[in-house]
Amino acid sequence: MNARGILLKCLACVAVGGLALTSPAGLRAADLKLEAQLIWGTNESRSPNPKHKAVQAEIAKRLKDLPFKWSHYFEVNRQRFTVSAAETKRVQMSDECEITVRQAEDGQVELVLIGKGRRVGKVVQRLPRHELLVLGGNAPNFTAWFVVLRQAD
Amino acid sequence: MKFESQLQLQAYLDGEMPEAQRREVEAWLAWDPEARALLNELRQTDAALAVGDCDLKLPESREFYWSKIQREIRRLETADSVPDRSGVWHWLTLWRRWLVPVGGLAILTVALIWGAWFSGRPNSLEVVLTSGNGTTYRDQARGMTLVWLSFPAENRFPEDELDALLFY
Repeated sequence: MNARGILLKCLACVAVGGLALTSPAGLRAADLKLEAQLIWGTNESRSPNPKHKAVQAEIAKRLKDLPFKWSHYFEVNRQRFTVSAAETKRVQMSDECEITVRQAEDGQVELVLIGKGRRVGKVVQRLPRHELLVLGGNAPNFTAWFVVLRQAD
Repeated sequence: MKFESQLQLQAYLDGEMPEAQRREVEAWLAWDPEARALLNELRQTDAALAVGDCDLKLPESREFYWSKIQREIRRLETADSVPDRSGVWHWLTLWRRWLVPVGGLAILTVALIWGAWFSGRPNSLEVVLTSGNGTTYRDQARGMTLVWLSFPAENRFPEDELDALLFY
C-alpha cells in the first residue's frame, strides 16, 4: 500500500471516530455512574434525627455558596447507581421521595422527582463530571430539602 | 603569466592550435622571454614523459569524444539534482507535505470532540414542573445548577402539598 493510501485510511478512521464520539448515539453509549443525595438544610447545628450525618465538605461548601439562609446541611440518604443507555433507573431516597434517572438525548441526563408517589417535576440537562444538579424546596419550620445528583467518582 | 596563456603554450606544443593562432603564439614567443622559457620547460617535460606516455588513438573524432564526456558530466549533474525516492528523507518530505492538512484535520476533530464533551455544546436546561413554580439558578463557575421549587409558604401549605414535600 502506498503512502497516500495509508494516509487516506488514517483520515477516514479519524473522521469516523470523531463522528461516532460526537453523535448522540456515541454520547449515550457508555453507562453513567451517578450519586444522588437527599439533604436537609437547617440553621440547627444538630439534627434531631440521629441517622442524619453531616454532608460531605465539598457538597456543603457548594450549597453554602448559594444565596440561602441555611448554615447546616445534613445527609438524609445517599445512593450510588449506574444508568445504562436504554434504562430508566428508579431510586428510593426516602419513604416519600423517589427519583428516576435516565440518559436523555445529546448526552443529557433526565431527572424526575417523585414525592409521595406523585410526579413533582422533571429536569433535563448535561451533567459533566464534578457538576451538581440540585433540586430544592421549602420544608417545615423554615428548613429546606435538596436532592443533589452528580457523577460518581 | 596568465593561466590561459600557459594553456595556449601547452596547446601550441601539442599541435592543437589552428594555423592562424599558431602564428600569433610564435610572434608572442619572439618578444617574450618568459613565454619562451615556459615553452622550453614544457618541451623538456614532454620529452621526459615521452617514454611512458601512451600513444592513444581515439576511436572517434576529437570533438565527438569530448562532447561525449561533456554530455555524461551533464547527465550526472542532472541525476544528482533529482531527489532520492527510496530513502528516509524522501518519506519525510512526503509526510511533511501532508503534515499541515492532516494536522489541521486532527486538531479540528479533537476540538470537536472536546467541545462536544466539555464546553462547546450549549448547556441547555429543561425544567418541567407538575405543580407550583420553579426558579432555576445556574452557577457556571462552581459547576452547579439549582432548581428551586417555589410552593406557598411552608407552614401554610394545603395538607396534601405539604406532605408531598416532606422528604426528610
